[in-house]
Amino acid sequence: MTEKTNPKPEETKIGVYVCYCGGNISDVVDVEKVAEKMREHPNVTIARTDMSMCSDAGQSIVENDIKELGLTRVVIGACAPSLHEHTFRGTVARGGLNPYYFHHVGLREQDSWVHSNNPGGATEKAVRLMYAGIAKANLLKPLDMIKLKAERHALVIGGGVAGLRAAYDIAGRGINVTLIEKTPFLGGRMAQLETVFPTGNNAREDLHSLINEVRTHPLITIHTLSELVNIRGYIGNYDVQIRSQSRGVSGDNAEAALAACTQEVPDDFNYGLTKRKVVYRAYEGCFPSTPAVDWEHYDGKPIEIDGQKVIFENKKKTFDLRIGAIVIATGFQPYEPPRGDYGYDELPEVVTLPQFIRYMGLRDGNVGELTWKGHPVRDIAAIHCVGSRHLAGVHEPQPDGILNNYCSRVCCTATLHQVNELLDEYPNINVYDFYEDIRTYGLEHESYYTEASKNMVRFLRFHGDQRPEVAAAPEGDTHPVLVKGKDYLTNGLEIEVPVDLVILAVGMVPRPVDDLVDMMKIPKGDDRFLLEVHPKLRPVETPVPGIVLAGTAQSPMNIQESCNAASAAAAKVSVLLASGQVELDPFVAKVDLDKCTGTGDCIEVCEYEDAIVLETMTVEGNEVQRAVVTPANCSGCGNCVSACPHHAIDVQGWEVAHYEAMVDAITMEVEL
Amino acid sequence: MNETTTTKEPKILILATLSGGYAGADYVGQQHLNYTTNTSILPVRCPSMFSTEFYIQAFEKGIDGIIVMYSGTDSPFKGGPERTAVMVDQTYKKMGELGINIKRLKLAAICTVCKKPFLKQVNEMNKTLNEIGFVQDELADQGKDK
Ligand SMILES: Cc1cc2nc3c(=O)[nH]c(=O)nc-3n(C[C@H](O)[C@H](O)[C@H](O)COP(=O)(O)OP(=O)(O)OC[C@H]3O[C@@H](n4cnc5c(N)ncnc54)[C@H](O)[C@@H]3O)c2cc1C
Ligand code: SF4
Ligand code: SF4
Repeated sequence: MTEKTNPKPEETKIGVYVCYCGGNISDVVDVEKVAEKMREHPNVTIARTDMSMCSDAGQSIVENDIKELGLTRVVIGACAPSLHEHTFRGTVARGGLNPYYFHHVGLREQDSWVHSNNPGGATEKAVRLMYAGIAKANLLKPLDMIKLKAERHALVIGGGVAGLRAAYDIAGRGINVTLIEKTPFLGGRMAQLETVFPTGNNAREDLHSLINEVRTHPLITIHTLSELVNIRGYIGNYDVQIRSQSRGVSGDNAEAALAACTQEVPDDFNYGLTKRKVVYRAYEGCFPSTPAVDWEHYDGKPIEIDGQKVIFENKKKTFDLRIGAIVIATGFQPYEPPRGDYGYDELPEVVTLPQFIRYMGLRDGNVGELTWKGHPVRDIAAIHCVGSRHLAGVHEPQPDGILNNYCSRVCCTATLHQVNELLDEYPNINVYDFYEDIRTYGLEHESYYTEASKNMVRFLRFHGDQRPEVAAAPEGDTHPVLVKGKDYLTNGLEIEVPVDLVILAVGMVPRPVDDLVDMMKIPKGDDRFLLEVHPKLRPVETPVPGIVLAGTAQSPMNIQESCNAASAAAAKVSVLLASGQVELDPFVAKVDLDKCTGTGDCIEVCEYEDAIVLETMTVEGNEVQRAVVTPANCSGCGNCVSACPHHAIDVQGWEVAHYEAMVDAITMEVEL
Repeated sequence: MNETTTTKEPKILILATLSGGYAGADYVGQQHLNYTTNTSILPVRCPSMFSTEFYIQAFEKGIDGIIVMYSGTDSPFKGGPERTAVMVDQTYKKMGELGINIKRLKLAAICTVCKKPFLKQVNEMNKTLNEIGFVQDELADQGKDK
């Protein structure tokens, strides 16, 4: 695609396009005025505006102008370059120009959206930034992408439903997958559910059919008890190090060890409602079926198996893999209220929704009457939004200083689904549902609310800053607990409901993954969930090329949404790795051999192995030393650029001269 | 275009890394928070590429304040932040020699979601420039402008 001749700056024919962004820019910036000013520039052949430059119609205008007017450079002022720079490079290439003859100026996030209080200033700033863009465009050189071999091997981190779905979809396209799961068993949180909305299917049955597909797929390798501990490299060529713990027991002695083990700890699968042994299976039917030792809690004492004393040993091993792309599917954990909040952890009659689901699952069929801690349950209160939708100034931030101000999305439907299931079995129980808003979003999910209404669930509506209070009932009361609050369906009437059980519809928080965030340099949002590049346009990609997100690691999602996201992540990975080759932007150092005298200052400051070296070459009959860059090893950081005393090195596409020209443009006075 | 050097309000140049300040500035935009229009944000991969000469020339051309919004410890480039700090330090010395107030150059670590730190840096630079005035006046005082 590289053109043979590069026009001199004064000879360039530039097409300039200023986007309205459907009003997002033009509501503040006088877009027509900006285009008018651009027409005054001697190198500008055409300056146009358009409602939406990224639309097919907008892009066609640019393509046609390149062909018909012989444009040699294109400058577009629009949304953030992170969103559409790539799109427009494609547009320019389709018009027949080298894609690096394009410069993108951000006029939305960095102008109209931050200067709504000063439209005149915003317009002037737009002109200034566009002139700077033209100044850079004038100096652009044609570049070719760097093509590198990509490893056709993906790493999926997390073996919940999202990770499993992503692994299976990627493998289905003929790409090798390594799936690592931190715990000894696959399935994540979905394994802890019973029947699930919207199908009413048994969660573990659905999960197991997916697990079976994953574990029998010839291209998928599963490592449980495994974590990523190191990562280097870049898209197509990540070198990862994985550390695995051993299960502690195997084939021959596994069942005997499980039977013989006597040390017990709270069972995290049942959210502490029961106890389990330290040699354990998460649940009957789990995968892998071999039990594992709970290393965190095992006291190290010998266990007698078949007359022999055995001490379990955690033989950790690390291994390296070369990976092309990575899916992060590390999931969520249910919010745990602090002790005393809504009586949690103080009153035995207060449970979280996940605990309640486990409790119902643990029963041995319908036992006639529902009991809790030996007492019959006749009246239940469900309280929504526990740990979600917190308000600044009303609720305390979490211990990390962050306020859980987001809606956890799944809890409304999950609560009403559980309540309906309960009332199907026990129609005589009274349920009082304390909610702020009912958010049973999703196709036909409203039916959970209408069904609950038909089931005579009493809905009581609180305001976010006046949440219900839970307290022990006075001695001798008919019920052990009182839920008090104001009901805004009856004009804020003070109410007091005596109940036998309180279910807290707790929200979702992301599993702590700070180690991954630090290693991979991926961003987290204000809510601690992992952040995508753009919620609408690039919803599963992180800013780090080749690293994508799947499922509830990114935000609260139900199973269907988690699988949708996982399939989208898998599609991204498949497209990246399908050809076995990735193309990288050619933004690497380039030495001007006419200026280089071989001082080696560049090599001193370069932190990348073999990125730049001194080589012996012959110049005008003399043997000399000159700096030579290996593009595949160069990061394009530019350390060497400021070190060279002869200005002999630049980073392609980001040259110092570009910045000097842009500063010239910025310091000119703009008259509108 | 009108190539004069008279300045109505101080000009702030923000050199912002794609992995830090530039993404942070986009985030401020997504939140629709306001700051002053005398700011020109230029994306950079890593500011370690800028030599003292570049900064000094920018001041001589009429940039009143420069904020280098780098990625600090979040930088994807090994050694980039350290080299940036070295270059900024060198530039402070040169500014001192030339009589350019060193408050005109600021190095700040800004992350992709650092909306408050971003606004604080812009506001503080505006405050500083209101106190110390235009760079061209300062250079004229030093007799460097003739
Ligand atoms: C009370 C409740 C009821 C619900 N009911 C329903 C319902 O009826 N219908 C519905 O559609 N949805 C429901 N959901 C939502 C559903 O549980 C989630 O959508 C789904 O489980 C998300 O799957 P995931 O794979 O994203 O996360 P997870 O299930 O959390 O899986 C993540 C996996 O990653 C592993 N992991 C974490 N960190 C690492 C690491 N660093 N390295 C390796 N592995 C790691 C974890 O151990 C885990 O196995 C409910 C949720 C709750 C809380
Ligand atoms: S889904 Fe319902 S219960 Fe959950 S946080 Fe949102 S509004 Fe509250
Ligand atoms: S740009 Fe950075 S990585 Fe590349 S040669 Fe220069 S110092 Fe080394």
